[in-house]
Amino acid sequence: MVDLVLDRDIRIWVFLPIVLLTFLLGVVKHYVSILITTTRKPELQQVYDSQALIRVRYLRENGKFLPLKSFLMRKHYFNDEDSGWLKTQNRPAPASNPMQDPGMMTEMLKGNLINVIPMIVIGGWINWTFSGFLTTKVPFPLTLRFKPMLQRGIELVSLDASWVSSASWYFLNLFGLRSIYALVLGEDNAADSTDAMQEQMTGAAMKITDPKAAFKAEWEALEVVEHKWMLANVEEDLCSKPLF
Amino acid sequence: MSETKVRKSKEPSGETIVLSDTAMRHNTSVLSFTRTTVSVLSGCSAGILGLTSLYGFLFYFVTALILWAMLVVKNHNSWQKFLKSRFTFLTHSLLGGLFTYILFWTFSYGMVHVY
Amino acid sequence: MNFISEARAFLKKCRDENDRQSSKIVDVYRDVLSDSMKSLGDERWVVYEQVALASFDTRDWEVSKQCLQQLSHQYPGSHRIRKLKAMQLEALGAYTDAEKIYDALLAEDEANSSVHKRKIAILKAQELIPEAIEKLCEYLKKFQSDQEAWLELSNLYIEENDFPKAAFCMEELLLTSPHNHLYHQRYAELQYLIGTVDSVELARAYFAQALKFNPQNKEALFGFCSAAQWLASSTKLASQKKKDNQKYLTWAIDQIKTLYQKEIGALEGKDVAVEDLMAKLSIKAAPEDEVEANGEQKKAD
Repeated sequence: MVDLVLDRDIRIWVFLPIVLLTFLLGVVKHYVSILITTTRKPELQQVYDSQALIRVRYLRENGKFLPLKSFLMRKHYFNDEDSGWLKTQNRPAPASNPMQDPGMMTEMLKGNLINVIPMIVIGGWINWTFSGFLTTKVPFPLTLRFKPMLQRGIELVSLDASWVSSASWYFLNLFGLRSIYALVLGEDNAADSTDAMQEQMTGAAMKITDPKAAFKAEWEALEVVEHKWMLANVEEDLCSKPLF
Repeated sequence: MSETKVRKSKEPSGETIVLSDTAMRHNTSVLSFTRTTVSVLSGCSAGILGLTSLYGFLFYFVTALILWAMLVVKNHNSWQKFLKSRFTFLTHSLLGGLFTYILFWTFSYGMVHVY
Repeated sequence: MNFISEARAFLKKCRDENDRQSSKIVDVYRDVLSDSMKSLGDERWVVYEQVALASFDTRDWEVSKQCLQQLSHQYPGSHRIRKLKAMQLEALGAYTDAEKIYDALLAEDEANSSVHKRKIAILKAQELIPEAIEKLCEYLKKFQSDQEAWLELSNLYIEENDFPKAAFCMEELLLTSPHNHLYHQRYAELQYLIGTVDSVELARAYFAQALKFNPQNKEALFGFCSAAQWLASSTKLASQKKKDNQKYLTWAIDQIKTLYQKEIGALEGKDVAVEDLMAKLSIKAAPEDEVEANGEQKKAD
């Protein structure tokens, strides 16, 4: 069945080292990122603003648990045309370009340093050192479209697509080991760079970049909330059947 | 203060069920853990057995089914406490597990059968 | 070895659940861990902090000295450790010295909410309740969604017998965790204490909601019963509403009787007042601070 036979030395000196290398690289990345990420101190005003916004959000979502009077009182506090909190707060417009924020810049630089650069460097090194031969075979047939993906550096037209070159084996490892990191390093680890990216996205959304716009959005959202008391019929409901 | 976020869902009967967010997250992480472990083990055994193409994929789904059966038997009285549907035991991160499986399958197959 | 892992698990549980079992924590440290802290690895610094805090409660100055020494040796100049030292001063009653440290900490990092709260706690410890309330209000104007602070403010207002304001604070807690039956119950109790027709009607509704979330909540059941009784005997209510309340009252009395029968046994006399029944039940009272311990219903675990 196996139409090609590979040198056994490839197994010991190429195939295994690549697996180990990718795995250890992930682990090192995890610890390095712990080492160099600084928790950025939020600005005082930002803390106050986000706390207020959280309170408005809760009011919108759970206001139905309060009596009408209490709900309206809070709505008035936030939304009144003349004296409402969301109306009277004036914040300077944020710096339009995130590049101008030096703190942001170093964060991004660090992120790149940990995630992208080692990946490219090691990938390039593997491609350079182990190029020109096959390392392994995947145990299932693949269509010809996978050839350029899996057989990088090997230009043989007649070769079966399920043979894999060293650079491609590296990338297979890079993506396949992800859940192993979760297993070994615990839930939220930095070795998994895609998750890190997602976190950056949500983190940016949580941090208020433009308080003025956020206040306006919350104001609008709160303005349209209609109070429908959750407890309106609770006694009837409760008394309709015995408790025990 | 440990904050427990709650999530609500409406049942067809109109009853409101209150779920704890942290507890749900914990449940999914436990499920992911079992899924990854079983994927690794089954991938290694498939590679060592020398399964190829369709048999290999079948083997993965068979182990997933066995895992599901074992979980269901283990929790046959209490699963309602943990999950809304018993099929979550089967479907949770089935595809993510497949990637891990393929890697380990390829790895052990390569180690044993290619050279 | 086994003892150590057991102790470790216990301490972790206390940390996670914010459980203030101070004397037990100190005992565990002294009997099991004190000689083998190294085996805990990096976890030992958190444990030192936890034990130090507990030792302030039990006034075990020998233990606190050990912990603080270790910690300040490992992290000289850390904010957390300085706060810990200030808390020790507080425990010793040296409020002015503690306040000096807190002020210094705030000068370096104004956003540190726990230091703000410590300063308010000093006022409370000195029984300066109105001042503490004033400070806490100021604090809450800035940190508007701090649940712990709202709960504390509510308690302070209760101490001052200012129930409408305490109820306002409970409303904030209802907003953040609307499924906690204990918050509903507390809010209802406050409304009942305010004692107008409207507020007792609210109290009835919130007692009912608390009962719905947790049918085991006996205080809520008795509260519901009392509120219905109050309204049924009130002279200002329309007759239709009175009838409703009479219905709720009978329902509640029935429930209490069933509960009584279930837990104590057969009723001795036929015409026992409900209040007596409740007293005999010797309600396994959820202590006041169960609300603080955040006893929340967990549906899924």
